[in-house]
Amino acid sequence: MLLKIGMVLAAIPLSVMALVAATGVVVVDVQEKGPGGHHLIVPVPLVLAQAAAGFVPEEKTHVDLGEAQRYLPVAEEMVRALGECPDGELVRVEERDQKVRIAKVGTTLVIHVTEETKGEDVSVTVPLSMASTVLREARRGSLNAATLVSTLRGARLTTLADVRNGDQHVRVTVW
Amino acid sequence: MKRYVPMALALAVALVPAPGVKAEGKTAWIHVRVEEPGKESKVSVNIPLPVAEAALALAPETVASGGCIHLGSKGRKLSLVDLRRAWKELRATGDAEIVSVEDRDQTVKIDRLGDKVRIHVEGRAKAESINVEIPTTAVDALLSGEGETFNLRGALAEIRNLRGDIVRVDDRDSKVRIWIDEGI
Repeated sequence: MLLKIGMVLAAIPLSVMALVAATGVVVVDVQEKGPGGHHLIVPVPLVLAQAAAGFVPEEKTHVDLGEAQRYLPVAEEMVRALGECPDGELVRVEERDQKVRIAKVGTTLVIHVTEETKGEDVSVTVPLSMASTVLREARRGSLNAATLVSTLRGARLTTLADVRNGDQHVRVTVW
Repeated sequence: MKRYVPMALALAVALVPAPGVKAEGKTAWIHVRVEEPGKESKVSVNIPLPVAEAALALAPETVASGGCIHLGSKGRKLSLVDLRRAWKELRATGDAEIVSVEDRDQTVKIDRLGDKVRIHVEGRAKAESINVEIPTTAVDALLSGEGETFNLRGALAEIRNLRGDIVRVDDRDSKVRIWIDEGI
């Protein structure tokens, strides 16, 4: 009897872990530099984030892009075409103290900005599927937060953002 | 046995094609380079041609030109209808100088050499030069619009098959180069 109860009790956390693993987890990792710097790791199950995003009030999801609205279908079509193109560097800007690089890598757009004088280094990875969803939603005039979070499921094992400056290192990864 | 596992995994990863990469055929890219040595600035933009075409697929069929092309700095104008008529005649003639405008500030020359139309602008005051080379077929397509409009989409469809330099601008402060090839 005790064995059965134990199995049932063990099955609950195991099921939750399996659910979280199956649906994905966003991990926010903040590391402060220097002695005594804090190291904070916050794992957020995507299923939980999606549920929370569902509570965003309807009026807050509306976007008004004005004149830019009519270019959204063009942008959407460009993102679709980009997905079918080979990988490569799309943009590189080099100035005295700043470098910007945008490249297509697999099914993602990688944006890398370096400011040498400030010691800042920012790297952002945007899954093309996410960009498509954002553009499609924006075309309808609203951005549904839950839908946006759900697109992260297609970006698993991706570091969405990696920000380094003199004081800290922040990393957001989807597992 | 265990030491072969990482090797096997590495081999497997190497053999899996990266998502989004097409093995067949080469994709043409439009490249734009802008260099401003004085500002220590370099800008490089590489756009796969299918992406540009996708954008153009949703653009208007024709682009209004305002009816006139401005030549030189003194407001000289050439009607698009006149240009179309002149091009039709020159197309049949062969290699020739189409336009030559010289004033105090700059010289503008447009000529045809083989299957290319060349536009050359030479500025005197700023020591600048602009060179544009367009295939005659692209000019045909560009001027295939009705009335006072350019057929931009038609022209770009022709440029698809072009490889090499299209535009070069050199002046005292900056250098611009636009070309098409099949790689980054």
